[in-house]
Amino acid sequence: MADAENLTLGKALNTGLRRAMERDPKVLIMGEDVGKLGGVFRITDGLQKDFGDDRVIDTPLAESGIIGTAVGLAIRGYRPVCEIQFDGFVYPAYDQIVSQVAKLHYRSQGKVSLPIVIRIPFGGGIGAVEHHSESPEAYFAHTAGLKVVSCANPDDAYWMMQQSIESDDPIIFLEPKRRYWEKGPVNVDSASLPLHASRVARPGTDVTVLAYGPMVRTALDAATAAEEDGRSLEVIDLRTLSPLDMRPVYDSVRRTGRAVVVHEAPGNLGLGAEVAARVTEQCFYSLEAPVLRVTGYDTPYPAARLEEEYLPDLDRVLDAVDRSFGF
Amino acid sequence: MTRVKEFNLPDLGEGLTEGEILKWLVGEGDTITLNQPIVEVETAKAAVEIPAKWAGKVTKIFHPEGTMVEVGQPIIAIDTDPGAGDLPAPSAASLAAVEVAGDAPVEPGLIGGPAPGGRTAVLVGYGPKTTVAKRRPRAESASAPVQRPPVVPHEPATPPAPAPEPPTAPAPAAVPRNGAVLAKPPVRKLARDLGVDLADIEGTGPSGSITRDDVLGAKSAPPAAAARVPGEREERIPVKGVRKLTAENMVASAFTAPHVTEFLTVDVTRSMKALERLKGMPGWTDVRVSPLLMAAKAVLLALRRHPMVNSTWAGDEIVVKRYVNLGIAAATQRGLIVPNIKDAQELTTRELADAMTALVGTAREGKTPPADMTGGTFTITSVGVFGVDSGTPILPPGESAILAFGAVREQPWVHKGKIKIRQVTTLGLSFDHRVIDGELGSKFLRDIGVFLQDPEGALLAWD
Repeated sequence: MADAENLTLGKALNTGLRRAMERDPKVLIMGEDVGKLGGVFRITDGLQKDFGDDRVIDTPLAESGIIGTAVGLAIRGYRPVCEIQFDGFVYPAYDQIVSQVAKLHYRSQGKVSLPIVIRIPFGGGIGAVEHHSESPEAYFAHTAGLKVVSCANPDDAYWMMQQSIESDDPIIFLEPKRRYWEKGPVNVDSASLPLHASRVARPGTDVTVLAYGPMVRTALDAATAAEEDGRSLEVIDLRTLSPLDMRPVYDSVRRTGRAVVVHEAPGNLGLGAEVAARVTEQCFYSLEAPVLRVTGYDTPYPAARLEEEYLPDLDRVLDAVDRSFGF
Repeated sequence: MTRVKEFNLPDLGEGLTEGEILKWLVGEGDTITLNQPIVEVETAKAAVEIPAKWAGKVTKIFHPEGTMVEVGQPIIAIDTDPGAGDLPAPSAASLAAVEVAGDAPVEPGLIGGPAPGGRTAVLVGYGPKTTVAKRRPRAESASAPVQRPPVVPHEPATPPAPAPEPPTAPAPAAVPRNGAVLAKPPVRKLARDLGVDLADIEGTGPSGSITRDDVLGAKSAPPAAAARVPGEREERIPVKGVRKLTAENMVASAFTAPHVTEFLTVDVTRSMKALERLKGMPGWTDVRVSPLLMAAKAVLLALRRHPMVNSTWAGDEIVVKRYVNLGIAAATQRGLIVPNIKDAQELTTRELADAMTALVGTAREGKTPPADMTGGTFTITSVGVFGVDSGTPILPPGESAILAFGAVREQPWVHKGKIKIRQVTTLGLSFDHRVIDGELGSKFLRDIGVFLQDPEGALLAWD
């Protein structure tokens, strides 16, 4: 097998799922149209053909039922990987997720583990209708008992998917759907990081830009553009939203003295608020400027023709960098 | 228009990002016509012939057959005016000025296939863009990226104002401070580390905030400037701890015991020589000895000869102690403390030296236990270490005498009928006149002087 294959992020997820299914017969895939169709984004493409319809299961259009069924399967020793077709469809399952998935381990005093992965294609940028472009990560990250991660590149997609399936704790796995077709190298021999670790995606010296999922690419684009201004942006891919891995963030902010957090979700009570609070608590005397947030607006996700006004882009990141230097 | 144009691999309608060069249908140097098929490219979906976008002469083929090429990469360069003569060497600028070949054939896509507007087809929605993100044009040059246009409230059109100063920060004007100091955290820390009070600094930063340079400037400002600041001409120190205790004791003592102080100046040259000899004796080489040791020894011997000095006025009786708890006044960071050496009359000279060293060391570290500071019976205060000759010490409460031991100096002195340079010191003895009369006090002080003047003689005579 080659050291590094060039795969799209979607194909890397597909390959990661395949590896996990080959390795462990208890791994199941369930969701709407994941079997015969291979998923609306083709993430489970070919898996039902190769592993059979008792391991790759087309479910009814009932998200609460998908997750409730997965809870029962997990109690009996299976490792279900549930696909929620779009971010905005997860809310019927929200009760199952926060009331059962998040609490059963605690409720049973640790006797029962729920090794469930809930895959959610999230975020906008694909010109879709409502319910199809949301960023619900804060709802889950706020809930004790759930772990929340998001991949931003094909290598992480491949490895984080497998690491999530191997985790005995329930994982909300957020996939940046607008980046499914972006290619990148995948080292299929070894994972570069454990699941719950953030990473410096691009070293820099002047400002720390924190992002995850689809916004990592945006932050990297901003860093490239900022070079023209003579500014060196350090981009950190948070990767794990709950638990947060803040150590590399603190190290970075203590060097740069400035931080900008980027996410698509609305700013009010979003992940950026938590990150800003922690950075302020831990790096107070290093901060040359307040931690700034670049986020979606506090509105419902807009109609497709307006989404580019809503989504943070590299210009908005650069504007925040400019504002940071204004202090 | 550039004469030589580079043709980039277009999006071939797959919504994908690369294609394999299957076969070149033209070669370098060939003359081609518009729309002539030039290359076969295979994508994940199909092999496609790509037509020439311009007529001209092929000057360069960038990729051999069999290579994978990213969409947007140049694959061929065509000289669109080959009759115009020789070409200049290709430059980096020619690469930068590449024209993107548009109008790639679009096949209506399945998911992941192409969609109109440079997008990838999805089941729901227009699909994500496949184009590379570009920044919007910026009004200001890259050399001044920090500056942002100031937010100006709407005003009626007035005669044109003079051009505003370029802002250096979002709120450039110095805003009058209403008590609160504005400074960002690292500047606050810098000020604290340098011992600069932010309240004394006029900020020059945004909104009148204090900058790093302001703090550094205040630090290096001449002290005269600092002295003009109101409130610094006096310093108020709360009275507490050792200072408070000392004050209470001194007042109690000064206003209850009638103090008398006598002075005696003595030639201590022989004591100093004796100390030197002591340092050379076996077992003494690593012992710290000082003139204070001689004074302590003199006091202990003199107390043996005059026990009444080692006593306490207790109102209706006088308590004469048969033990000597010898207090040594020590200046420490926390103030004056007077620890004492218990039963000093029992100690050999060597033990006395060790005890004094330990006592002062412990006091300097601030670790003197309370028991060591009570129960003293006689105290020596070694004011000589401060370079002064003597003083009129106040009695520690409960004690009847205290000796001030001054600096030992070389002075002209009449010695055996001639003026010689001798080592001389002044002793000051304060005593409680309720217990000790002038005669007793004088004899006691005199004996201390005798010992310091001739320690060997005194030892032999008094033994």
